[in-house]
Amino acid sequence: MAESRQHTVLPGFGLTVGYTTFFLSAIVLIPLAAMVLKASSLSFSQFIAVLLDPRVIASYKLTFGTSLLAALINVVFGFLIAWSLVRYDFPGRKVLDALIDMPFALPTAVSGIALTAVFAQDGWLGQQLARMGIQVVYTWLGITIALTLIGMPFVVRSVQPALAEVQRDLEDAAETLGANRFTVFWRIIFPTVLPALLTGFTMAFARGIGEYGSVIFIAGNLPMKTEITPLLIVIKLEQYDYVGAAALGCIMLGMSFVMLLSINLLQAWGRRRLFVGKR
Amino acid sequence: MPDPLSVLTSMSITLDQITKRYQNTPVVNDVSLEVGDGEFFVLLGASGSGKSTLLRAIAGLTGVDHGRISLHGRDVTQVSPRKREVGFVFQNYALFKHMSVADNIEFALRVRGVKSAERRARRQELLKLVALEGMDDRLPTQLSGGQQQRVAVARALAHKPQVLLMDEPFGALDAKIREELRRTIREVQRELKISTILVTHDQEEAFALADRIGVMNLGRLLEVGRPEELYARPATRFVATFLGAANLLLARQTAQGIRVGATPVTTSLDKLDQRAELRREHEVVAMLRPEEIALAEHRDSLNSIYLGAGKVETIGFTGAFERLRVRMLEADKATLSADADEDNLAILDVTRTQHEQRLLPLTVGQSVAVGVRRIHVLPTPLSSYSVYATTAVAVETLKQHPLLVDLATRMKTRIITHVEPHLGQVVPTKSQAPLAGVAVIAAGSNAVTQLEWLLQRGTCEVLILPEQYVPITRVLIHWTGEEVRRATLSVAASVLRHVPAEATYLNILPETESEASKPAGMRELLDARSEAQAVHGLEMRTELHYGDTVPLLQRELSQQNSHMLILGVIDHADVKQRFDALLQQSANCPVLLVFRADDSSSVGKRV
Repeated sequence: MAESRQHTVLPGFGLTVGYTTFFLSAIVLIPLAAMVLKASSLSFSQFIAVLLDPRVIASYKLTFGTSLLAALINVVFGFLIAWSLVRYDFPGRKVLDALIDMPFALPTAVSGIALTAVFAQDGWLGQQLARMGIQVVYTWLGITIALTLIGMPFVVRSVQPALAEVQRDLEDAAETLGANRFTVFWRIIFPTVLPALLTGFTMAFARGIGEYGSVIFIAGNLPMKTEITPLLIVIKLEQYDYVGAAALGCIMLGMSFVMLLSINLLQAWGRRRLFVGKR
Repeated sequence: MPDPLSVLTSMSITLDQITKRYQNTPVVNDVSLEVGDGEFFVLLGASGSGKSTLLRAIAGLTGVDHGRISLHGRDVTQVSPRKREVGFVFQNYALFKHMSVADNIEFALRVRGVKSAERRARRQELLKLVALEGMDDRLPTQLSGGQQQRVAVARALAHKPQVLLMDEPFGALDAKIREELRRTIREVQRELKISTILVTHDQEEAFALADRIGVMNLGRLLEVGRPEELYARPATRFVATFLGAANLLLARQTAQGIRVGATPVTTSLDKLDQRAELRREHEVVAMLRPEEIALAEHRDSLNSIYLGAGKVETIGFTGAFERLRVRMLEADKATLSADADEDNLAILDVTRTQHEQRLLPLTVGQSVAVGVRRIHVLPTPLSSYSVYATTAVAVETLKQHPLLVDLATRMKTRIITHVEPHLGQVVPTKSQAPLAGVAVIAAGSNAVTQLEWLLQRGTCEVLILPEQYVPITRVLIHWTGEEVRRATLSVAASVLRHVPAEATYLNILPETESEASKPAGMRELLDARSEAQAVHGLEMRTELHYGDTVPLLQRELSQQNSHMLILGVIDHADVKQRFDALLQQSANCPVLLVFRADDSSSVGKRV
């Protein structure tokens, strides 16, 4: 772009890149670096000790496990919601469409309180579930539900435009060629929206890992059982164990980064396959 | 209803009265069609004419509200698209972008569980057929538009479908590639001998490809025929003007022949319609193709029929041809062109070859003698509209009536106004020349007397328009005697070509003899339907009713404001005695009265 002297809307390649770098540094990189620096004041064995604390390991399992589960649930049901919003016209479609964004706008603590009220033992849904022997609050199930709520709009909003772009003609073509509905879905529609679905999954997953506000109410925060990593960090901070908190943060940082990077690479590969030669 | 068409099995594609509605408006309106084995059929029409919807209905991608579709004798009306064994080619190719060319072409075989080796063999065969050998591993996005459409054609043919359907396959391509692909498709179709329907809005494309062309407008299939036949002898205004340029002139047909204005024009050049119905002097629409018009300096140097004097208005050069517009200088009231200026002077489109141009170079403003080599008279009974009312204001109001404006615009004809202060009051004394075209009057209490007045002056068709107007969705057809059947059907066919409404013929039998007369009544319905179809190109439903005609018609009309009645009568007295009440009370629906005096009856039956 720099050497091809083309007219662009934003002036100055140098200026733009400088600006980008500065803000990325000030807001993202420098604080992260500070955290890593803080954590590095621990000796290696101390660092390992913090990481391998059984309570910490349990929280990793819980955080990544529930986030993954919630993201997977969202992929399925978010896709269905997006599908019905794009493909069908029904009364109240606009209202439903607007409601999708509610979890974005609501303070997460409010979502958490609302969910707890509904799923508590004497709550509305909790009562019914308790009768069937299912306890939601203070279990991993409650956490998953909270994370599903939080992550859902990410999936819907990324799949929606992709789905709207799937030409009806493609389905018609497949049908005249003899494909049944199942084949049309798996061979035609699914591959076409897969990149968008992956994006949605990644974002919902990433959001789930970092989520704090909505989870702590419904989780009950029982050590070893329903304690998520972000909560452990907060606990450590409250105990003035800044270094320990930073160490936990570093681990989360590393794991999240590896996961997001691999999903992004996967997506790039998919996109290259779909849109090769277009540019 | 028993269907005489079901015995035909040599037809590849048989459509029987297909109707598809969107929000109550028929987008495909009673279309019946047969496409023979190995035939290349082109459906031609403007956008919104319903041609693509019809094609999708054949493939099963759109359901139909009424009618039957058979492919090779198999009724597939209720069969899902994946079991119809059709190949469909879309305008935007609709290739699967995430699959290679090979996977795209093999898709139909793969879903059928065909073995890999067999698939590959078939793919190679198809790629060779569409001249894309070696492109197997490309992705669709790596191909040009023309190549993508070739892949789409190969893909549509992979499972050896019984019929090939193509929806504007060249629409997204530029001219040069379009022609190349057109040739390929024609060759492929010839080689495989596969029955094909191609939809297009481009008449040139239709001429180049078709064994037969079907022209659609407003959801109706207007005419079907071989390209050269349709071009030379169209039956309808729409086809005449849609297939190339056409000059439409109002002329009078007399026992001696055709007269354009004051000039008698013998029609020995074209086979004159000798039907008795047309022998009575009346106004007709004559079609003159631009290339059939000859220009000369003097009348004497014309070696074709002299039409009149004219003046060159504009000259345009289009490569092979010279395109001129010539204004006719005679303002004869009888010669109202559909395309005329304020002074009622007809303007003719003329094309001349380079050769003609060299023989007689012309400049703008030059006076010329205009001759015509060939005239074709359209067999349409509705030529022009004449609005009648007692005051100038009333005439103007009536002239603006939406239905009249719609009809006149779509028929490319004009509305002539007549202020007659004594309309309906004084019986015309001296015998005047018969009135031309369709008379138009306003509905109301005076309508019947005005109607009588018009009929006495020799008018044969009168359109009675209500003040309140709702767009028409259904046209009811009824006649009181066999003598007027043909004329009524012919008028109905003409009207229905220009309004998007469904047609229903009502046969009404006296209640008393209901059981005994049922077979005869049914036969009449079938006869009427096949006559409408065969002679007038009109598809209509039929209904048999028992009871008194007038109350029954009244009831049918009062169901909805969007109904129109086309009523054939043979007796002056009938109008006054029987239909007086009907015409007064059903003032909310337009009524078109077709009148034929009894004397034409004897010949009418023989035809």
